[in-house]
Amino acid sequence: MAKNNVLQTFKTEISKIASLDDLLLLETKYFGRNGVLNAQLKNMKDLNAEKRKALGKEMNQLKYKILESISKKRQEIVSFGQKNTIDVTLPGKKYASGSLHLVTYAIEEISNIFEKIGFIRMSYPEIEWEWFSFEALNMPKDHPARDDFETFYIQSPTNQKYGKMILTPHTSSGQPREMMRLGKPPIRMINIAKTYRPNWDASHVPMFHQFEGLCIDKRINITHLKGTIDFFAKEYFGQDRATRLRPFHFQFTEPSFEVDITCDICAGTGKVADGTKCRLCKQGWLELGGTGMVHPTVMKAGGLDPNEFTGWAFGFGVERVMMMKPGVGLNNMRALYDGDIRVLEQF
Amino acid sequence: MATSEFWSSFKSCNAKRIQKYLSLCGPSIETVEKIENDFIFDIEITSNRIDMASVYGIAREAQAILPQFGKKAILKKRSFPKPKLPEHGLPIEIVDPENLSNRVLGVVMDNITIGESPDYIKRRLYHAGIRTLNNIVDITNYVMLDVGHPAHVFDYDRIQSKKLIFRTSKKNETITSLEDKTYKLSGGDCVIDDGTGTLIDLPGIIGTSNSVVVDSTKRILFFLDNNNPVQMRRSSMSLGIRTLAATYNEKGPDPELAYTALLYGIQLYQENTGAHIASKIHDLYPIKRITKDIKVYLKDIHRVMGITIDEKQIISILKHLGFGVMRHEDKELAYPDGLYFNITVPTYRTCDVSIKEDIIEEVARVYGYHNLPNVISPLAFVKQPKELEKLYTVQYKTKYFLKHIGLHEFLNYSMLSADLLTDLDYNLSKHLKITNTISSEIEYMRTSLLPSLIKNMKDNIGKKETLRFFEIAKVYNKNNNSLPQETYNLAIAVNTNFSDLKGIIEALLHELHIKNTSIEQGSHALMHNTASVKINKQRVGSIGILKRNYQHIIGLSEEIYIAEFNFEKLIEYFSLLYQFSPPTQYAVVKLDLTFQKSIPYQQIEDFAYKSSPLLKRVEYLSSFGNNISLRFYFSSHEKNITEKEAMVQLTNIRNKISS
Repeated sequence: MAKNNVLQTFKTEISKIASLDDLLLLETKYFGRNGVLNAQLKNMKDLNAEKRKALGKEMNQLKYKILESISKKRQEIVSFGQKNTIDVTLPGKKYASGSLHLVTYAIEEISNIFEKIGFIRMSYPEIEWEWFSFEALNMPKDHPARDDFETFYIQSPTNQKYGKMILTPHTSSGQPREMMRLGKPPIRMINIAKTYRPNWDASHVPMFHQFEGLCIDKRINITHLKGTIDFFAKEYFGQDRATRLRPFHFQFTEPSFEVDITCDICAGTGKVADGTKCRLCKQGWLELGGTGMVHPTVMKAGGLDPNEFTGWAFGFGVERVMMMKPGVGLNNMRALYDGDIRVLEQF
Repeated sequence: MATSEFWSSFKSCNAKRIQKYLSLCGPSIETVEKIENDFIFDIEITSNRIDMASVYGIAREAQAILPQFGKKAILKKRSFPKPKLPEHGLPIEIVDPENLSNRVLGVVMDNITIGESPDYIKRRLYHAGIRTLNNIVDITNYVMLDVGHPAHVFDYDRIQSKKLIFRTSKKNETITSLEDKTYKLSGGDCVIDDGTGTLIDLPGIIGTSNSVVVDSTKRILFFLDNNNPVQMRRSSMSLGIRTLAATYNEKGPDPELAYTALLYGIQLYQENTGAHIASKIHDLYPIKRITKDIKVYLKDIHRVMGITIDEKQIISILKHLGFGVMRHEDKELAYPDGLYFNITVPTYRTCDVSIKEDIIEEVARVYGYHNLPNVISPLAFVKQPKELEKLYTVQYKTKYFLKHIGLHEFLNYSMLSADLLTDLDYNLSKHLKITNTISSEIEYMRTSLLPSLIKNMKDNIGKKETLRFFEIAKVYNKNNNSLPQETYNLAIAVNTNFSDLKGIIEALLHELHIKNTSIEQGSHALMHNTASVKINKQRVGSIGILKRNYQHIIGLSEEIYIAEFNFEKLIEYFSLLYQFSPPTQYAVVKLDLTFQKSIPYQQIEDFAYKSSPLLKRVEYLSSFGNNISLRFYFSSHEKNITEKEAMVQLTNIRNKISS
């Protein structure tokens, strides 16, 4: 083939190439051991020196031209489509996005916080005997909490030892249950469960969630209760929050306290930016829930000797602490249970 | 509670400070409001501390608490002149043969001029949220707020028999309250009979219209009765009469205070209505309330508080609160272990202070919880039962997985209505029933999560195009007379299509690395086109389409696809990983086949594996009409197979599935 024809053919061929793979094949076709260029040199040894030199020079030029055009083509192919042809502001492919119930997140976070300090999450019956929810918790028969309008009762024969069947009005029945399960301290328990009360209006729902903490050991005292609850509050609400205990009254703890936490809206000052009173809190404090040192009667009901062991317990509302979390912006408990997808899908 | 008398004792301290100090150590003061020269404290009194539900009670607390903050406070002790009793008084007979009351005090007062109360009484009652009526009635309320014991007043002349007999009510007896409302009694209430069978009072709760003072009243019977708190609460709640007096009386106020209230009342009547005493003071006090003693060791106070507190401070705190304190030492124990106190509990505290822990609380709260350090509870290892650990782990894995593939979690009430259950042909008798429900919507404990989810679907159709919901929760199955079986179920409902639902289930089973699963033709009471989901040939759940008749009864405008599982079975077979299988070194040949489908897919797959030892995987590509396209993957453990060898295998398969 004449040299000019070689270049012509090459040009035609390369003009049709659109991929790197094909380009590589073309390159091999020309530069391979049995390639077109080598074929041109096949008779070189038969030529005289002068002609050989001339052919060599000519071939070098041809080789250079072909290489250059391959290299140019490679650039062309590689850079093809690198122009800004995509509207990057268009939405991406749509992936399914589901949601979990707010209470699920709250329970997960609460159990994780207590797990760090060695509290195990436990579970006890939600349909329970009166004895575990009342007698064992120092609430005798005539206690107001046992009234029909404070607790749901289940239709079933009365158990001679344990009384009637009820829906747990609080998670505290877990206290005697855990004492009996372990038989002896140490006890480090957290019980997160559904609780039920016959109260259904604009701000109450008949089923909600509580979390109960119980710590019993030798020499457990009020400072441990304070420290642990303060730890929880800082982990859950933020390191800048502070807590305080106020005297209160519960049947199953003695002493009993109510826990307050500093308000996040007014940063515990009781006043908002313009100097007016903060409407969310009471003088800078928000009520978190009830707590106290385990009552000796409860300890005995659980089979423990109150002279040997002491302990603390608390019971807080899951929905309550979750709605108090800064930035959640939800303040109506009913919205969580109305089952409206437009509410639930946001979480 | 507003009173400058109370206020004047604490001039060294401002109202905001009092609020803070008292809230930290005693009664919680919710708000303080300044009105003219007075302050209104809104105070929350816990149900066990009825002794604090009075000006005097709060003052006593303040007097114990404020010195802890370096503020001086002195409690003004009250003394009343001994009443001068007439030689021949007007007759009145008060009897309580059944001993229903702890104490009854009564005195007749004559020469009453009915009119308005003086300004300070009117103003203070108004700020305490009590309606003022006239000087006679206002004084009873004023005494109650000041001293802490409810009081009542009768028109002496309207009690014609001059007899008051305490007795237990009979069923269906009626009273007409001073507000002219008639109540039918259920029996067992404490009532006062005038001896003729007519009821003239519902003591401790509300006066009756036939005996209370009227505009023409000239003579009164000033009356204080201290009753059985349980009986008070029962009557008040069952009749729905929630007077202030009832809320005091159901909490057991101190009968000793009743006498102070009597003397203060007499003084106020004399000063403000011109009345004078016209009878002897009747005092029925069959069950005297007495102080009690509690022994508390110093070391126990330290043990619970977690700090050492000086014994002098303990004694001072308790004495300020009105407790008697005697210090003793157990000679057998070395100091300070042997140091103990004999505490005498005053009558106004005997209801709430009965054990040493109560005394420790008194010391600790006044000392100030804010003065105790914060210490995280000492670490101790307690093993969490494995099955609970697994329950929570798998539950969270499942929830997040379903969320991430686009499902929404619902959390429904555990109770359902009879209507919903019967609409879906559930047997009501298999459900636990709440005896005192407040709404028929929440009457039966659910044994399945499907009714709730079906209802969720119905409520949300139209709110969003694609609905894919799930719930994981306990269901409650009757268990003879024992507590019910509480087991976790998982339910899913979608409005997309069967394939979507089945895909969710398959993906979940895969995510949980459950082996030996199969999905076969099955049946379920709520579903048509039902499949049973099995693990190791055991059914763990069902998926299907909600039957047309239920769809219509519920009012669903479109078909929905539902599934329910025994979630505990999924937990049981859950594993963190599948067993590792090394990737094959030899070529895999993929061959597609489209053919007329004459048997269920599952059978095709089973036959295929049976007839080809080299078959590694079958992939479903699509179906069109009755035609189905599958892709078969062939490979050998020993060598590279050729396409020809694979073709032979495929032919074997084709012969098997089309024969």
